[in-house]
Amino acid sequence: MPLLQIDNLRKSFRTSNALGNTGARLVAVNNISFTLEKGETLGLVGESGCGKSTTGKLIMQLQKADQGRVLFDGNDLTKLSPRQLRPFRRQMQMIFQDPFASLNPRMTVGGILSEPLLIHRLATGRQVRDRVIELLEKVGLTAEHEQRYPHEFSGGQRQRVGIARALAVEPQLIIADEPVSALDLSVQAQILNLLQELQREHNLSYLFIAHDLAVIEHVSDRIAVMYLGNIVELTSADQLYKQPRHPYTEALLNAVPIAEPGHPRPAPLSGEIPSPVNPPSGCYFHPRCPYADQLCRQQAPPLADLGDGHLVACHHSESVGRYLIQRR
Amino acid sequence: MPPRLDVENLRSYFFTRSGLVKAVDDVSFTINSGETLALVGESGCGKSMTALSLLRLLPEPGRVVGGEIRLDGRDLLRLPDLEMRRIRGNQISMIFQEPMTALNPVLRIGEQIAEVLRLHKGLTPPQALVQAGELLTQVGISDPGRRLRDYPHQLSGGQRQRVVIAIALACDPKLLIADEPTTALDVTIQAQIMDLLQKLKEERQMTTLLITHDLGIVASNADRLAVMYAGQIVETGSVEQLFNDPLHPYTQGLLDCIPRLGQKGLLPTIPGQLPGLREHHDGCLFIDRCDMPSLPCGHQHPQLKEQNPGHWVRCWRH
Repeated sequence: MPLLQIDNLRKSFRTSNALGNTGARLVAVNNISFTLEKGETLGLVGESGCGKSTTGKLIMQLQKADQGRVLFDGNDLTKLSPRQLRPFRRQMQMIFQDPFASLNPRMTVGGILSEPLLIHRLATGRQVRDRVIELLEKVGLTAEHEQRYPHEFSGGQRQRVGIARALAVEPQLIIADEPVSALDLSVQAQILNLLQELQREHNLSYLFIAHDLAVIEHVSDRIAVMYLGNIVELTSADQLYKQPRHPYTEALLNAVPIAEPGHPRPAPLSGEIPSPVNPPSGCYFHPRCPYADQLCRQQAPPLADLGDGHLVACHHSESVGRYLIQRR
Repeated sequence: MPPRLDVENLRSYFFTRSGLVKAVDDVSFTINSGETLALVGESGCGKSMTALSLLRLLPEPGRVVGGEIRLDGRDLLRLPDLEMRRIRGNQISMIFQEPMTALNPVLRIGEQIAEVLRLHKGLTPPQALVQAGELLTQVGISDPGRRLRDYPHQLSGGQRQRVVIAIALACDPKLLIADEPTTALDVTIQAQIMDLLQKLKEERQMTTLLITHDLGIVASNADRLAVMYAGQIVETGSVEQLFNDPLHPYTQGLLDCIPRLGQKGLLPTIPGQLPGLREHHDGCLFIDRCDMPSLPCGHQHPQLKEQNPGHWVRCWRH
């Protein structure tokens, strides 16, 4: 049994303007399904408005899905009351993009880390402080950081505190929403390494949400690519990079800048991301797709298995790869 | 031919209540006409403060305390304020990271572009509006007639950045400063904007100072680069020299820690973190993070040395 199983999850929002409800509905997440095994990392990649962050919140039950199931260890979380959810909240933790906005500026780091221990009754008295110091050391900080406030830390150190807080309750699943996109390059590498080491040590499962395919590809076992609320491709990280089968995946791979002077550059994908309130007909990607034809304009392709578990939603998946830039 | 921009020994200090911060500490570089120089480094290294010093727009309590900034031979630091105002937006213009904050939310796009043309080129309002439409076409915005009447919030992030570029190009500036021009944009839009900047550079022989933390963008869009660390340039040379033969341990570390497609496992890292800008050292600023510090590094500050023609490095190892 997978640790996490998402079945046909859907979430829409009413849109409003200054005058109130416009009556239009924005479908943020459109019937997506995937599984996550114990100790596995699933990457969720896509650009703004593709629904990747909403998916994270739906799993955490921070937002209620319109329909679909979220099975954690076989239990459907969408059916549980807040009280019944509490033991599961301990099993799932989140790491956010902006570590400053997600840490209480009026609490010391020691306070921030002991709070979850006390709430979930994981330690009492003396044990609390020992555990806080153990957590600090686990993420590469020291006991002397315990009495300091978030503003005294650099961005990378704050993200370490955010990770320590997530680890405090010994979760099985960590949802990391853009955990390194606000960090400098050298700090990003340190945090990515820390996350990988902690995973190995605690057999953690990660849902790793990001817009940067190079980062996602580096840490993930499997990757789901999202576009306008839909999963358009889902396969192993290796397969996705070597043989993308959706034109959007191909474009995302091509958009990763190549840190090598004189390397041939691919032509950028044309057009803009359409509004999710008023998505295009047929395949949502067709207005920007170099492979699109009449069929794509009329009929949305289903997410289908090409064999070997490689899922793609494209009418022309066998042709995709024509524009993929070969990296030296 | 003399360089278009010649910055010599620029020093910009911040006199804060908790002490002196040397944000830009003895920075020198040149940019030739038609060339793109990338200024690369991590947060707080002084790359944006260098750009703002060029425009004489340093925020309080910062001040340029020394050096020369020559644009076509004229020292900008000695110009009277009124003269400097004519240079900003006219001879030097700037593209910012966040296009929404760079645009006025209550003015129509057309008015914002036309304003520059009226002020700096003396065009009449109808002339200015016609030329604004032409500029929109050049930056790849379709249906310019309709877009001129739009407000910034009606455009997408990528289109807004195109408008900011149109405003920056309106007066054919001698120097374009692009400060993280694509950092706030989605990855496919980022590729479009860098493509546009490259095309405009070729068409107009644009001289550009590109400020970025993304080495991938540097490799495909710049001719030369300067790597900054803690307010100083630690290495500079052609893009080929620095990518193929990096000499400074910081440059080497930065190139190594880029996640590359198709690679797995742990990334090489640069140990430690940036030195506090309020601390002042006698020795090399990178010493705590260097894997091979030697005898002079601790007590003597290294100077930039020309290792190969055009390739300079600030390190005792070379």
